[in-house]
Parts: sequence; C-alpha cells; structure tokens
Amino acid sequence: MIGEGKPIEDAAWKVTGRKQYVADMKVPQMAYGKILYSTIPHGSIIRIDTSKAEALPGVLAVADYRNSPMTPYNSAKRFIGQQVISNETIFAQRCRFVGDRVAAVAAESEEIAAKAIRLIEVEYEPLPFVTDIPSAIQEDAYPVHEGGNVITGMETHCGDAEAAFAKCDHVIEDTYTTPPIHHAAIEPHAVLADWGPDGKLTVYSANQNCFAFRVILSDIFGLPMNRIRVCAPAIGGAFGGKLEMTIEPVAAVLSKMAGRPVKIVLSRRETMMATRVRHGSLSHVKTGFDDDGRIRAMEFKIYTNTGGYASSALNVAGALMHKVFLAYRIPDMKITSIPVYTNTETAGAMRGYGSPQIYFGMQRQINEMAGILGKDPAEIQRINMVRPDSRNPASGEPIGNPRPLDCLEKALRLSDYEKALVRQRKSKEAGGPLRVGVGIALGVHGNNCFGVHRDNTSPMIKMNEDGTCLLYTGSHDMGTDTVGMQKQIIAEILGITVDRIAAVTADTDSCLWHIGDYSSRGVFVVGEAAVKAAEKMKTLLLEEAGKYFGVEPEEICLRDNRAWVKTDPEKSADLKEIMIYCQSVSNRELCVHETYEAIRGAASYGVHIAEAEVDIRTGKVRIRKYTAVHDVGNILNPMMIEGQLQGAVQMGIGYALSEGMHWDSKGQPGPLTLKKCGVLRADQMPDQLITDFVTGKGGEPGGPFGAKALGECPVVPAAPAVVNAICNALDIELRDLPASPERILHALKGGDKND
Amino acid sequence: MESVVLNINGRDRKIQVEKNWTLLYVLREVLDLTGTKCGCGTNDCGACRVIIDGEARNSCCVQARRLEGCKIETIEGIAKGGKLHPIQQAFIDAGAVQCGFCTPGMIMSAKALLDACPDPTEEQIREALSHNLCRCTGYVKIVEAVQLAAERMREEQEGGSAS
Repeated sequence: MIGEGKPIEDAAWKVTGRKQYVADMKVPQMAYGKILYSTIPHGSIIRIDTSKAEALPGVLAVADYRNSPMTPYNSAKRFIGQQVISNETIFAQRCRFVGDRVAAVAAESEEIAAKAIRLIEVEYEPLPFVTDIPSAIQEDAYPVHEGGNVITGMETHCGDAEAAFAKCDHVIEDTYTTPPIHHAAIEPHAVLADWGPDGKLTVYSANQNCFAFRVILSDIFGLPMNRIRVCAPAIGGAFGGKLEMTIEPVAAVLSKMAGRPVKIVLSRRETMMATRVRHGSLSHVKTGFDDDGRIRAMEFKIYTNTGGYASSALNVAGALMHKVFLAYRIPDMKITSIPVYTNTETAGAMRGYGSPQIYFGMQRQINEMAGILGKDPAEIQRINMVRPDSRNPASGEPIGNPRPLDCLEKALRLSDYEKALVRQRKSKEAGGPLRVGVGIALGVHGNNCFGVHRDNTSPMIKMNEDGTCLLYTGSHDMGTDTVGMQKQIIAEILGITVDRIAAVTADTDSCLWHIGDYSSRGVFVVGEAAVKAAEKMKTLLLEEAGKYFGVEPEEICLRDNRAWVKTDPEKSADLKEIMIYCQSVSNRELCVHETYEAIRGAASYGVHIAEAEVDIRTGKVRIRKYTAVHDVGNILNPMMIEGQLQGAVQMGIGYALSEGMHWDSKGQPGPLTLKKCGVLRADQMPDQLITDFVTGKGGEPGGPFGAKALGECPVVPAAPAVVNAICNALDIELRDLPASPERILHALKGGDKND
Repeated sequence: MESVVLNINGRDRKIQVEKNWTLLYVLREVLDLTGTKCGCGTNDCGACRVIIDGEARNSCCVQARRLEGCKIETIEGIAKGGKLHPIQQAFIDAGAVQCGFCTPGMIMSAKALLDACPDPTEEQIREALSHNLCRCTGYVKIVEAVQLAAERMREEQEGGSAS
C-alpha cells in the first residue's frame, strides 16, 4: 500500500465530468453576483451612484463601501488572535490598484448583474501611484498606505558576512528581478454564499483554507463561529492563489442583502486582475568565494512587491529568509527582506512562497562563480551543498536528512551531463545559429510552518458497524491527493483496503480545526497526523478484537480487512464481526481524533538540470532535455508525486521563459488572458523530461513512513536552471525573469545587464 | 429568443436560445451539463472543449444557434452505461488526473484525435492537446494516458473485428 502508485482518489468523478466544482453548483433561489473594479491605480471615490443599477429589473442587491461592513482585515490571517496588518476591506473607498473592488451586484441572472454593474457611476479623485519597487521605495513616493510603502525590514544572519567578504578571494555582487505572475489554476475563483434566514452563513468556496476564512468572515461580520460554515467542495487548482480570501465576503454581503444564496464566478480576466499574484522581487545578491570553489559568505537584500494590501506581505518576505540557510555550508550569511506596497494587484502565496524569488539570484551567482573560477558548476554545487549531518547555521538546529548531494549525483547521471557539456562546447565551436547550453540549479523548500506559527491538524476517524470507516479531515485536496494520501496511511495501519475508507473533508462544520493547506505541509504534517490518528484507532480495534477472541490485545494483528490471533491462524474475523461485537456487546462506538502539532521542521531538496537550445537569431529557447531529481524522503505514492513534479517543471519553465505580469505607465495590468500569460502548452514542454527521486536514504525523521514534501520545492530550481543553461550557451549574464527572446537578444548585443 | 434543436450526445434537445448564447452557456446553464468547464471564455484554455461533428472545439466561442443539425458530444456522453470510455479509464490508470478541471476538455480533445487517428505519434498527441492548458501535470501523464487509450482502443477494435 505505502509506496504503491495509485491515481487520485476522486479520479473517476473528474474524468466523467461529475465532480462538482463551486461554479457547477446551483441551489434553489440562487442569485448571481458580479463585481465592479477600480479602473484607476490609485484614487478615492468621491461619488458613486448606484441608483440606475438598483432600478434595473432583476437586481436584488447593490453593495459598496457605504452599505457594507468596513472592518479592515488581512486576507491571509490564519487563526484566531493572530496579529496581522489589517488594511483591506470588502469594498474600497480609496482604491489602490486597477482591480480593487468598488461595488457588487446580485441579480436574478448573470446577464442582469453584468448589465447593472455597467450602470454604476463612479467618480474618482486620482492620486499619484507607483507600480514598481524602485519607484515605491523612493523617499518622496506617494504612500499606498499611511506610514509609507516600505512595510518593514526583516533581517536574519549567521556569522559575520561583512568580515568574511573581506577575506574572500572573489566577491561578486549584482541585482536580480523576478516578475509577479498569475497562478493560472484552470478553475477561476468561485464562491457561493448563503446567508440563511436564521442568521447562519454558509460559504462554498474553492479555497485552501476554510478555517482561516471562517476566522476572517467572523471578524468582518461579527458572527460567532457556530453561525459560519465554510467548505471547499472541490478545488480546480490553487497553487497558493486560493489561500487568501478574495471574493467570499462579497458574496456573503450580497447574500445577506438579497436574502438569497449568491454565486460569484470570476472570469479569467477578473481572476488575473483582481485576486492574487506571486510577489515580484528585486534582490541584491553578494557572494564571496575562494579559488577552491568554497563559498565563504553570502548576503541578500530582497524587496518584495506586495501590491495594494498587506495580505501575505510579512509572511512571504519572512518565510523566504529562512530558505537561504538550508542549501549550502556557508558560515557567514545575512539576509534582509523588505516587503513594499505598490499600486498593483495584491500579491499573495504562490507555490514556492518567496523561494523562487530568492533562489533565482542565488543560483545565478553559483553559475557565475563557476565561470569565474573556470570550474564545472556541478563541482561548485558538490563542494558547498549541505550534508545529512549539517545544521542550519542560523538556528543551529539539525536540518534532518537533507540529500541534495544525492539529488545532484543522480541528476548528473540521468541527464548524461558530461555529454551535454560536450554538446554545449561543440555548439559554440560550430558557431551556428542554434546554441546548446546546460544549466544546473538547486532548490530548497520547507515542509510546514514549524517555528513560524501554529502548525497543527486534527484528523478524526470513526468506525462504522460494518468494519468500514470514515475519515474527517480539515485538509483540502487541490489535486495532489492529500485526502487519498491520508486514506492510504490509515489503510496501512489498520490493515484494511483503501476502499473501506470514506472521507469528509474541508468543512468547518464537520471537521476538526485545521490550519490550512499550504507550505507543503500535506505529507509531513497532515500525513503524520493521519498516522497518529490511525494508531489510536488501531489500539481500540485490537482491544475489541482481543475481547472478541478472549485474548490480550497484543495477541491480535490487523490485516486484509480482518483481525487475526497471531498465534492461531485459524482464528480470524472480518472487522465487520469485530465492530458488530463492539457495538452490541461492548456497547461502544469507536471514534478517535488526534490534535497533531508538527514536532520539527523539515527541508526538501531538488536539483534540476536543463539543456537548452537557443536560436541566436530570434532569442527563442527550446528545452531539449530537462532532468529533475528530488529528495522527498520515502515515497508514499509514486504515481501522484511524479505527476506533481512534472507539473512543477511546467510552472518553473514558464517562470523562466515566458510568464510575467506588468503594469503600464497608466497603472493598467497585463496580460489578462491565458493566451498571452505565457503558460506552457503541451507542445512547448521539453523534448525529454526526466523526473526521479532519491530513495533508500533512510527517510525523513518525523514524517509519515519517513516521507516529506515535494509540493512547492520543484518550482524553486527550475527558473535558474533554465536561465543558467541559456547563459552558458551564449556566454551572457541574464539577471531578470522572464528570460524572454527580447532580453536574450538584448544581452547578446551586449545590452545593459539589468534591464 | 429563438428555437433551436441541438443534437447533444445522440439526443435532440429543443431549446430556446438568445442570439449571443454560446454553446458552453447552453450546456452548463440551460441543460445542466456542467462536466464541460469554463476556464477562460476567451478560446484559450480548452477546458470547455467538446466535439462538434467530429472536431474538437472550444464551446465558449461557438454560438449555440448556429449548431442546428450538428452532432455535439460532451464529456457526459462518452461513457456507455456504467462503463467508462477507454480514454476516461486510461486517464485514471495513467495518473493523468490531478485537480481535474482541465480533464473533461483534455479527454474530448483526445477523443477527437483518436476517433480520426487511432495510432497517433507523440507529436500528434501533443499538437492535439496544445489547445488545452493544464497547470498541474506538465502534460506528461496526459500524453501517456492518450497513448494507453489508443493502444487499448486498437486492441478492442482488433478483438472486435476478429470475433
């Protein structure tokens, strides 16, 4: 069971089109909601006239800042009592980016709602605006929020980087940028809110954090939690983009006003313009190293563009700082992280949570180092990578069982690296229009929120009288089989088949509190919680089976859906018999739960090797061969984890080459279509994609069956691996993502390094 | 409103449509055939793909009223009774399903391809799927699923003609 590949547990629902996503839902008396967004990047609303919209037949409610709660909130608040910067409201009075919510309408049909939205008149008093980090951090920049655009500056360090740089043989220093990008989950954001006549609010939402949404909705509307139910019936992809609350309170307020359930389904344009993006970044990176290839010191100063509202500003900027200490054995390091407001779409969580941004510059410099020393980049990686017994130099804590070196060696072998280097050299010698380059990068990511804030999950298991069982889990399955993984674990421990387990998931009324599905915590925390809960249930089953057979519990074992007396193979009974006995003779229901708090953090690693072919006439890049090898401890489900890794490669190469949102001189965002947003299609994927894992290395301590996360980690090394390959093919230095054909051609012509 | 008869999954459906109603709107909102998804509405992602007269097309950009007399197939129509279509089964077996939102459209693209070309090359498969975006899988297992389905369908065909 554990270690056996199996498809996602609801695959049959999905291939038949019968999986019910929120946009598919219809309930009696349901109305349709539409939102009006700010058309200007910054300005106060001085007049808003909704009378024509209200007069339109079929319109049920029109909401804006004047008739809706103006309680400021933070859309990334995770738990009750958490201290966060709260500066977002359901509707804006002062709009802070193109796409800020101005008003909303509920109507009998989507068409009427859309028509009513067009009838709302808004007059703004425009304010100066900033859309990029360098402008926003100017002292005289117009503040997006009171107090200025620099939200804070956070710093972490180990040793003394300044002093170490002075002793290094070489020091390199440069500036790198990464753009905001759209998550591009294929399902646009959708919500159905039903504010019942009894005052209870039910919210069906495609989201990653029902319990957090309940907290925020409770804050906004002043409702006690027994009068809010949030559940996620299905999620059509999220990648962090559905972790923070966006349209849920809009639907709630409309439902309350209309006295009807209200569904809002965003268009793609709205999802791209008005939900969340990955933080854009600008980072100064400095690396000091010696002739032998040892990195002696590194220093980072990174600015993250958090857009119009605080939301994840501190979380992402804070989280990324810790990642840089997990890669190499560098005694002296310092990182400063500065989140910055701009008049652009609010940035939030996205797969990688700051790591893709900070690792881009870091991994580019490792490659540059190799060039300066005339060494193979693989050798630089090898010399410096952390070893299994390494400690985090900032915290002094052991890292766990980090295996980047094994990833590297396996990736070198699988990619046939030596031959790739030969192809790189020969293509340069040949001097033709197509140049081949090979690039390596290391990526690291965490497994949970350990050390940052509460990190629990609480599964519950209930036995049915026929020996089957029900799992109640607050976790949300975004397509990674989080729920199936828990079933797999429970099945293994209870000695039953997976088909004997059903699950109730992601529902605040039915499940115990769960902190949400993010930070790659699915396997390491949620999986381990399932282990603990299943072990508790096992104890109860052994007890009941012992009584049934008249032996001690220790003499019982569970397998093949049966309880067995270890010493007497003749004596066994289906769990159904045991449960009938339990219910009728012991007069007992079996139900257990585990409040599991992660016992430590863990780090996952991946090494990617890209072999790119660049056309120097057009700047176009084709990835000929791509190798990704990851350290995930022991593998629970090889089929799903392989698919997840392959998907991350697509996301990472898009970040490297083609994805990126920008705001023009008028503060207007683009692109706002999937056609133009640069997500790779099936015929743009690498000609050859090799994915593999490091196994048999003892697993990760504290993880279920020695497993740890894949999750976010593989989007971290992808972009620098690809850009390193391009740079090695052309002997250029690219420091900005995406490495578009224009940027490549510009660099080939000897253009400025950092534009 | 005008009256139109649409042949959907082998059945004539007489419905009233507005001029600008897309096939996607009619499927989802009028006929409750919500297996066909909307990922963009701008002809870019293929989540709404259906088969019209043998050709895979995005239903978000086709006016329903122009489809009288056409044979329309949707994800709801391809399983026979309780038995999944071989492409659906192959998507499960190959691990090609993650969040599932692109899956129906992917399957319809694959079906149009395999109906016309039972033994496609990988390049042909990738071309056929290039109209569908997926953000979870990197397309690898989807391509493998189509290959697996093609193989099974050919075997079925050969088995069928031999008996």
